[in-house]
Amino acid sequence: MSAVIELTGITKRFPGVIANDNVNLVVERGEIHAICGENGAGKSTLMKILYGMQQADEGTMKVDGEVVAFNSPTDAIDAGIGMVHQHFMLADQLTVLENVVLGAEPVRAGGAINFKEAKAHLSAVGADYGLTIDPDDMVETLEVGERQRVEIIKVLYRGAQILILDEPTAVLVPQEVEALFENMRELKAGGATILFIDHKLDEVLEISDSITILRQGKTVASMKNDGVTASDLAELMVGSELPSPETAESTVTDHVALSLRDVTVVDDDDRSVVENINLTIHKGEILGIAGVEGNGQAELVDAIIGTASVSKGVVELLGTDITSMSVRKRRESGIAYVPEDRHREGLMLEAPLWENAALGHQTQKPYGSRWFMNRAGTRAQTELIREQFDVRTPNVDVSAHALSGGNQQKLIIGRELTSAPSLLLAAHPTRGIDVGAQAAVWEQIRNARKAGLATLLISADLDELIGLSDTIVVMLRGRMVARLSPSEVTPRDLGAYMTGAATQDTSSPDTSSPDTSSPDTAGR
Amino acid sequence: MARLQKLHDVPAWIRWPVYALLGIFLLTVVQSITGTERLTQVSTSREMLRWAVPIFLAGLGGLFSERAGVVNIGLEGMLILGMWFGAWGSIEYGAWWGLVIGMAGGGLGGLLHAIATVTFQVDHIISGVAINILAPAITRYLSDEIWASPTTSPRTTSVGDWDVPFLAGGTIFGWESPDVLLDIGKAEWWFVSDVADLIRGLLRGTHWVAIIAILLVPATTWLVWRTRFGLRLRIAGENPQAGEAQGINIIRYKYVAVVISGALAGLGGAFISTELSGLFQGGNSAGRGFIGLAALIFGNWRPGGVLAGALLFGYVFGLDLKDLDGTASHALLLVNTVVLGAVLLWAVKRRRTTDAVLAGILGSGAFIWWLSADAVPSWWSNILPYVLVLLVLVFFSQRLRAPAKLGEPYRKGS
Repeated sequence: MSAVIELTGITKRFPGVIANDNVNLVVERGEIHAICGENGAGKSTLMKILYGMQQADEGTMKVDGEVVAFNSPTDAIDAGIGMVHQHFMLADQLTVLENVVLGAEPVRAGGAINFKEAKAHLSAVGADYGLTIDPDDMVETLEVGERQRVEIIKVLYRGAQILILDEPTAVLVPQEVEALFENMRELKAGGATILFIDHKLDEVLEISDSITILRQGKTVASMKNDGVTASDLAELMVGSELPSPETAESTVTDHVALSLRDVTVVDDDDRSVVENINLTIHKGEILGIAGVEGNGQAELVDAIIGTASVSKGVVELLGTDITSMSVRKRRESGIAYVPEDRHREGLMLEAPLWENAALGHQTQKPYGSRWFMNRAGTRAQTELIREQFDVRTPNVDVSAHALSGGNQQKLIIGRELTSAPSLLLAAHPTRGIDVGAQAAVWEQIRNARKAGLATLLISADLDELIGLSDTIVVMLRGRMVARLSPSEVTPRDLGAYMTGAATQDTSSPDTSSPDTSSPDTAGR
Repeated sequence: MARLQKLHDVPAWIRWPVYALLGIFLLTVVQSITGTERLTQVSTSREMLRWAVPIFLAGLGGLFSERAGVVNIGLEGMLILGMWFGAWGSIEYGAWWGLVIGMAGGGLGGLLHAIATVTFQVDHIISGVAINILAPAITRYLSDEIWASPTTSPRTTSVGDWDVPFLAGGTIFGWESPDVLLDIGKAEWWFVSDVADLIRGLLRGTHWVAIIAILLVPATTWLVWRTRFGLRLRIAGENPQAGEAQGINIIRYKYVAVVISGALAGLGGAFISTELSGLFQGGNSAGRGFIGLAALIFGNWRPGGVLAGALLFGYVFGLDLKDLDGTASHALLLVNTVVLGAVLLWAVKRRRTTDAVLAGILGSGAFIWWLSADAVPSWWSNILPYVLVLLVLVFFSQRLRAPAKLGEPYRKGS
């Protein structure tokens, strides 16, 4: 076998980050090569460079032994490389055939598309690689897996021999993943080389011939899929740094603040993105949710705050069923919310701080009443937040975008915690803020916990999860796959559960029985 | 449901005439009840066509623009530009050149819209409204400069019209062929003569531009749905990023589409000034660019649908034109009642309670109005096209499919 792709010393810098730092990658002809790594490890950037969507600052690329420089995807297509993006590039209201031929249409004199020839070519390509699809179907009628097949056919139709699949399984349900793998094996048998990005290690081990692992923009390992175990991979992916010591005593009580029973959330295509989740959070408890992004954590939070509707199951807050309550009512009954994206969901960037401080609480004292805002009260409260939560700002009249990310986040935490909540939903509360602000946010959450607040914490920072949580559950493909005690778990273990390399039996209906989270056992 | 599905398998060239016959049948029945005769007169369908042509051309222009993702509310302005340039070209260079120059004038308006919306990412509505304000002002200024009168031009020349031989008594090489439809119409057979009259209105004194407009239906269908150009134009409106990923210059297609859009609206305008009025006169557009946009939505962004919408709206206006006492438009209320009744049945069958209730209320409203008055005021027929569009949007919006990325700004490489 010969190397069909050879990347040497690829470096790509963006303002403030090095996305790829001296990355090397060798792909043999006719193999399925997996690229693994956590979010932000630089996988997608590397693939975009290979596909000509971005240009490397340093390093050389060889395709079939020849040095190449791609300025656009067109160059890459000419060199026989095709890419299937994670977000499909398809027009829903066009047919499969129209989508496939777009940009490479066979035409008769006069500019009419020769649909007959196109159809013949499409079915020939399909037959070569064992892919079938009806060319006259409207794309909007297709399932996600079928749409992906259209994308693959689109690439093959242009004569690509090397396929890049960007997280192809992220959008699929398990059965569809099986079908995709079947297709990938057929493609390989047909002579294609496949590069694919994935961070679900069970899948990687099942399908790939070789594996390259990236961490923080660097290649940390490249190996044949031969006697490798998932936990080896997980360790390489997340590193094995120890958690920062956490000395706070357990404050978990017996009072249930939030309880979810069999909660299922479906997406627009009616597929479960959150499936049969059972969990309980007690007063004074921080429950951490670990998981690779896109495995249902965000939708779970949406279901609790009320921005997504629960298709099955019950959500209870302090013993009251809130499953069909409006967001407004839920907020008023004591749910505090630190959203994942503070710019989109947490703040009005153009508005002054005091207006931002009232967001989500505008109908409650001291911000206002049902119909009117209380300006004086709101401003006074904002001053209070500014003082207590150390929001560094000249005054409360500056607009929110004038603040640094850390101070914006402190404002959000402040407004949520001063509203005397009974439950805090914190999604990535320290993402993208500096170390000092991070420590401050942690301190505030810890203090609130001591005062009896129940917290649901979602974070991609495993050290943060292990450090703050009293209990950790792991979500994978919308399901709860593990329940762990932070005192006994390492980031490496977590990584294994998050990627499906390790599994735990969580079949009992409510695994958060007091046994696992009572003060006696959860104390550290 | 199965039967409905079968109806969809019937080819369009059979389906549409069947719909038309059903419509005429309804008109005939209503006419028998109300005693008016104007609903199916020769002059009514003749006026309908004269009104429908500019509406259709504007709507078809909108189709090009909106299929490429650019909302074109500036059609009215482009139509006005076409009116002026058409008149000017006709006076200076002759009738056919008038049409060509009218298209160029409208195309210029389209180009302006394209520069604003595609290159500078101006909001499509704002740019369109600006063009609608600009066009009357520019034409007024130009008229004053060139014809020394801000509102009217000298007489223009016309490319003329044509009588269809045999059916409507047209002449072939000087020989006058029989006028079959006239004879049938005179025979006063119930329904049959009504159909003959209405068809004769379309075939006698048919403007050449009207014939061109009708031919544009299959031509557009072919261009937009069967050619490479059309596919790329549609991707610009459906998913420009997907097109860009395949190396298609989306910006260029948007430009071409919006300019074509303006040119077609301009042809509609030139038709108004040179063929209908015989001169340019400010205000003669009578909002037909806007109604064209309504026909576009009514017709679900498809050429045949736009034509159907234009004819329907043209009918309402055309009927009103000769209906000085308002009795014929009054009879239309009964037609509305029947149609809303049909919608009611449809909604009940589909278990769509809200729709059924709404159709019931509106239908009874129309019926009560019909019973309680002898005539309707003329503003009613002026707003009727918009009322129809609103009704279509209310009841059938789930079946309407606008281009997916209509009105969304597109930036290369984002």
